[in-house]
Amino acid sequence: MRIRNLFLSRKHTAITVIILLLLSALILMSLRVKQRKGVDFFDALLIEICSPFQKATTSILKEIKGFFRGYLFLVQLQKENTMLRQKIAELRKENQQMKEMALASDRLQKLLQFREKVSARVVAAEVIGQDPTSWFKSLTLNRGERDGVRKGMAVISPEGVVGQILKTGPFHSVVLLITDYTSALDSIVERTRAKAIVEGMGENRCNLKYLLRAEDVEVGDSVITSGLAGNFPKGLMIGEVRKVDKRGHGIFQYAELIPSVDLTRLEEVLIIIESSPLPREEKEKKVKRTK
Amino acid sequence: MKRILPPLCLGILFLALQSTLLTFPFLHRIRPDLVLILTLYLGLSYPPLSGGLIAFLLGYGMDLLSGNTFGLYTFSRLILFYWAQLFKNRIYLENFFLQSLLVFLFTLADGLLVLFLLRTLNPEPWRHLIPPLFTSFLPHSLSTALVSPFLFALFHRVFFLFQDYRMGEKG
Repeated sequence: MRIRNLFLSRKHTAITVIILLLLSALILMSLRVKQRKGVDFFDALLIEICSPFQKATTSILKEIKGFFRGYLFLVQLQKENTMLRQKIAELRKENQQMKEMALASDRLQKLLQFREKVSARVVAAEVIGQDPTSWFKSLTLNRGERDGVRKGMAVISPEGVVGQILKTGPFHSVVLLITDYTSALDSIVERTRAKAIVEGMGENRCNLKYLLRAEDVEVGDSVITSGLAGNFPKGLMIGEVRKVDKRGHGIFQYAELIPSVDLTRLEEVLIIIESSPLPREEKEKKVKRTK
Repeated sequence: MKRILPPLCLGILFLALQSTLLTFPFLHRIRPDLVLILTLYLGLSYPPLSGGLIAFLLGYGMDLLSGNTFGLYTFSRLILFYWAQLFKNRIYLENFFLQSLLVFLFTLADGLLVLFLLRTLNPEPWRHLIPPLFTSFLPHSLSTALVSPFLFALFHRVFFLFQDYRMGEKG
């Protein structure tokens, strides 16, 4: 009521609030476009509010998936076999759980072996959600600033490069996948050492940009990170060339790439903590301290 | 608070569903935008202040959980909400077909608005967004339209429990 009293009438209050809301949306957009950042506190707060819902839904879905795999197929057997059915169901469920555990253990073992191979300091994270929109490609992870995760850090899996950290909250973060159309990554073709930029195209595909026409690139060639981007160590697998097109004019040729990681089925990833460059503010602080 | 909290919680739940359950490979292309349907429902039935605030927060949530760095959805969902407000009390929405048609048109408008903003803010990779327009965006708009009558009915019942108002009435 007190706020409402500040305005001449109820109509004025409504119009003012609508204008304020629209203005804040525009200011937010302008902040993000100009400085590539939003309101950090508010971002972190909202990520932390939404992520537990995502986590809960993911774990419920896993349970349901397990139930369907292990039990539901047996529901329509004859009555006289009920006992036997139950036994089989229990055994199957147990079997399925063990299979799932074995699969998870395999995946984690692979991740662990890979982690030992990677010289940089890494943090393992679980995927708890995917992009809710049709236009963009991202994943939500269950690790955040409290685990040392910062914006721009590289995210990888044993099969290759996944993407880089885009937004962070205290306990969760969002990864921009290499297939997102705004993602770009410095790379080289493993066989010929030809340099190019891997640009996302959505739908699990990437594009090799600025690949000189004179360079020898064939279908099936592996593309790896160049190590020049700073965040990604050199030699990490990005994907395989699927299509090369030298038609048309200009000094560049066109090549399409399939990422080595199946980004639609990712469950665990590694975040490279150590080799990431310092954020600008921290660098500035360090410079000031040394002065 | 009584007016804001139930739709906000439902919106966050939808956001979580949209980023988990509805991302399975076979569902991915036809996944309906549940948050958009909720925003439209609010636009057609909620008062401009509380409804606008919820649309703002849900758009913000979409921006945070997506790979979009520009804050497009905070803006587009708010515009969509106020656009829907213009139709409040002016169209007959008890018919399933009309509900679907309206949601379909609004989903297209939302997509085109996002594309326009992307084109304006970051024109360089714009060409990559043309193929998904047909392979992903159109099926997505259709599925959103088909699901909307059921969700409208659900919202009508759920929100009716929390407050005494009906769709089309002034807030």
